This record gives sequence, structure tokens and C-alpha cells, in this order.
Amino acid sequence: MWWKKNKWKVVVPVLIAAALAAAFYLGGDAPSLRGWSVKETAPAQTQSETTASATETAPETETRPPETETSAAAEETRQETAAGTTAAPETTARAETAAPEKVTQKAGSAVASRPGGTTGGMSAAEKESAAAAIAGETAASAAAQGSESYSEQQGMRLDPKTVRDKYQTEPVPEGKPVPVDPQGAVITDKACTCTISISCAAILDNMGWLVADKKELVPEDGWILKPMQTTFYEGESVFNVLLRTCKQQGIHMEYENTPVYNSAYIEGIHNLYEFDCGELSGWMYRVNDWFPNYGCSRYALKDGDTVAWVYTCDLGSDVGGGSVSGG
Amino acid sequence: MQNRDTFSGYHPIINFLFFGLVLVFSMCLTHPVCLAVSLSSALAYSLYLRGRRAARAALRYLLPMALLAAVINTAFSHEGETILAYLPSGNPLTLESVAYGLAAAAMLASVVTWFSCYNEVMTSDKFVYLFGRVIPALSLVLSMTLRFVPKFNAQIRVVSEAQRCVGRDASEGSVWRRAKNGVTILSIMITWSLENAIETADSMRSRGYGLPGRTAFSIYRFDDRDRAALGWLLFCGAYLVAGWIAGGLSWRYYPTMRGTALTAFPVSFLLAYLALCLTPVILNCREDRKWKRLTSAA
Repeated sequence: MWWKKNKWKVVVPVLIAAALAAAFYLGGDAPSLRGWSVKETAPAQTQSETTASATETAPETETRPPETETSAAAEETRQETAAGTTAAPETTARAETAAPEKVTQKAGSAVASRPGGTTGGMSAAEKESAAAAIAGETAASAAAQGSESYSEQQGMRLDPKTVRDKYQTEPVPEGKPVPVDPQGAVITDKACTCTISISCAAILDNMGWLVADKKELVPEDGWILKPMQTTFYEGESVFNVLLRTCKQQGIHMEYENTPVYNSAYIEGIHNLYEFDCGELSGWMYRVNDWFPNYGCSRYALKDGDTVAWVYTCDLGSDVGGGSVSGG
Repeated sequence: MQNRDTFSGYHPIINFLFFGLVLVFSMCLTHPVCLAVSLSSALAYSLYLRGRRAARAALRYLLPMALLAAVINTAFSHEGETILAYLPSGNPLTLESVAYGLAAAAMLASVVTWFSCYNEVMTSDKFVYLFGRVIPALSLVLSMTLRFVPKFNAQIRVVSEAQRCVGRDASEGSVWRRAKNGVTILSIMITWSLENAIETADSMRSRGYGLPGRTAFSIYRFDDRDRAALGWLLFCGAYLVAGWIAGGLSWRYYPTMRGTALTAFPVSFLLAYLALCLTPVILNCREDRKWKRLTSAA
């Protein structure tokens, strides 16, 4: 009697919950978005000895508040995050994309593993240095973060409110070149050499996600263009070199100019386009092991640079540029 | 206007089913042979129905529109393995994007032509007859709207002729004079439309439209000829759908152009599609031959 009257009051919420669970599981249309766990992009190694070798990752700026913060609450959350994240070793260029262990770590275990333990507190300064040690913030990884002062010094004009320049580019880490707008670029006659390569190796791990028609396009070893030396003229950008190289080598390449970012956007190389391997896939470029956070038309090459174009299936996390694609 | 062709004389459901099938297949099958079949059949039927006028309209409007579609595709899509040349911007001009543009153009042209044939064959009363039971209110509104447009055109011709006789011509004089006369004619037409609507409404009410139990006379009978045609259309439709699901009519344009090999089965699908698209033309030609034989004998 009760069931007959209130059947729908039970069935409808169950159906809604089932639909939501299915949507959660299915996540998005990409290899790393399926499954039950909530994936966070892993920051650099928490063990300080292996940090030095993590040259390819820049830590997430959200999980690493600047060291100037001294409030206790900030320390605690940072410790918990740092201790709670299980290191997904990113020493190889093609790291595993599924790193679901973080969710299971609870605050309790983090508290117990604090240097001070559950008893005895630490002063603010002690906490700060302890957190820094745990997070392994050596000089190398600190440099990988964007540096406002350095960027402004080098000539980037940052909007004080959003801390970005007028083409939405974040500050560049210390030691890296700032973007050079192609409109003002002066190309001299001085010939220089650089190494360029194009690789779609990340697809080999995700062949199930690739559009069926394009399976025959992926080379066996993932190299569309093996690293080769090419000449360029001083003042040219990565885009100029890519365009010329593809034409000379007979490799198909399609791009589109994006005025908002004042750069060319590479949609596809060798008929492998963005989103062909899930909704997080596309082309990224790396110069001397750093993934610039601005378009390829704005990177002015220098003599001896190594340019690598890589296809990612996970917004960069599988090729070592996971922190670039924020914002 | 009633069309004198045999296919229009079949039961409306045959006409509707034929055009429905042909339009759906035209839009969904992208195999180049299918597109060519659809386009040529549509043009053939359109020529039969409308004669030379159709040919002229096709050349003047369809061809440029189709070519424009083809060119636009190559300007925006640069996918494809075979690079023919490099555009000034640096993007490649590929054979596959040209082919795809032509395919899209052919599809556009064939759909437009099929719709023009549909206009000739499916008059409003056939449409109302078919859907009057299913969507009575909407089909009544549709029939009133469809009836109104030609009436309006005829009346505006009458009014402007009359105005021309009085000297208030809208085709000569200064721009200002012409505009004034035009506005006068427009205001006359608005008054006429409103009054006509009221008259129509009164007439319809007096004849009992909208009353429950009102029947409508229809001249359409479903006879053996229609039964045979229905069977043929359903068979062709089912065969093509089966072929499509099985992949016999698949064709891809990017990254390279490739489709199923032309063995016996795929060829049979293409022949069935050709037969389906040419059904009205074949029926009409058969009747014409029979008629000619009868008249020349007598």
C-alpha cells in the first residue's frame, strides 16, 4: 500500500542518482577522464632526492602557494596536500595518466606524518621550512614557476589585475625567454641552426581512443619527423621554422591564426588533428625541455635550440607539459 | 496547379513516401556515386516536370551556388593527404578538401532540386489529406497559409494593373512618386488581406469547419497500382537501409578518399538507389509510351 503510493518518490531519486553516477564515471571524452576517481595533475616529486631529475614538470601553482604566505592554515593545507599526494613519477616523458591515489589519502594520515607529529607544535617559520623541504622546492623547481619581476624586467607588460600580458600570457619563469610578438619581429640574414622533431608517440598508448580512420596515419615508432637539423634566420619564430620544415619535408600541417593570443594555432600535423584522440588531445611544442605557455609564433628561436612538437592525449600531462595548460 | 504527370496521379502517400526516402538518402549517403545518382535523377525529374524553365533555373542558380560551396570548403578545410599546392597563407590545398567541397555542393544541389520537384507534385490538398487526421489544427493552418500566398499574388497583380490604369503607376516616374504609389498599393493590399481573412473565417464557420463529426471529401483512392508502387518503394528503402547499416555504401573523404570495394553487393545497392531515384521518371515514361500508342492507334 505504502509502496504503491510512494513508488515514484523512491524510484525517481534512484534513477537520478544512477544517471549522475554514470555521467561521473563516463567523465569526459578522453582517456584520463574515465573512472571513479577524481584526478588531480600531480605536482613535482615530494621526495627531495628525485626532484632534481624532474626537469620536465613545473609544479601546479594552485597547490604551491608562494613561500611568502605565513598563515598557519596555509601551512597545514600545503603540508596535507604535499604529504597526501602520492608521487606519480614524472621522470619519463610519457607518464601514466591514471593517478587516482590522491583521493584516498585522508587528513588524519597527513597529520600523523607531520614532522612535529600529533604532539608538539611548530613555529610558523619551522612549519614553512618543513613544508618546503617536504615539497622539495629546490632552486630548480622554484625557477620553473612564473616570475613576475623577471618577466617585467625582460619586457613583458603585465596587467596588474590579472597578472598576465595583453595576450593572456602568464609570467615566464626565470631564465626563459619572454614572448616576442611576430608583428615587430626583425628577421636578419644571420643563419643559425636548430633541431626540430615531430612526434605523436602519445597516441601509441591510446590507440583505442583514436578516430578509426586515422589509425593508419600513426607511424610505428611515433616519429612523424625524426630530430633533424635545420637552418633558420635570427628573429624567426618556432612557427616560421615549423611551416617551412613541413613544406620542405612534404608533411601536412594546418594552422589557424588566433588574434586573441596573437599567435598561430597548430590544428593538425600529418592529418592528426586536435581532439582526434579524445577531447584532451592536441599539439604542444617544447623548446629545450621547456613547454612555453604562449603560442609558437611568439617564441623567438636562438641558435642551437631544440624544438620538439609532441602530440598529447591528456592536455600535456602525458608528455611532461601538464602544468602549462592552465587558464 | 495540377500536374499532368502520372506520378502525381498516384495516391498521396506514395508521393510523400518517395520524396521522404529520396531526401533522407540524398542527405545521408555521401558516396560520390550515390550523390551523382541523386543529382542526375533530381535534374531529370525536374526537367520532365517543368521543362526548359527548370534547365534555365538550374544553370543560373544551382551551378554557381554549388561551385561556391565547393570553393568555400577548400578555403576553410585543409585536411587531407594529397597536397596539391600551398595557399598564400601557408595552409595546404588538398585534393580531399576539393573533393569534399564538390560532394557537399552536389548534395546541396540535389536536395534543392528534389524540393522543387516536391513543390510541383505535392500540392497542399494532398498534404492536408495526409496529415489532416494526424495534426488537424496544424494542417488546417498550413492549408490556409498555402492557399493565401497565391491569392495574394494574384490580387496584387489586379490592384497594380487597376492603379496603372488610373495613372498611379508604380513602375514609372521619379523615385519619390514610385514609392508613394507603391505604398498606396501596399495599404490597399493590407486592407484586402484583413477583409479577405474575415470573409474566409465567416465562410468556414458557416460551412461547419471545426465542428466535431465534420467529414471531408477526398478524391484519392488506394488502388492496385498504388499497392504495387508502395511495395516497390518499401523494398528499395529497406534494401538501401540494410546496405547502409552493413557498410556497403560507406565512403570517407579524410584523410584519404576510400570506400568499400565495388564488388557485387555494393554495386547492387547503387543500382537499387538508381532505380529508386528514377522511379517517377520511369513511371511517367511508361505511361507516356502507352498513351502515345493508344492515341496513334486511334
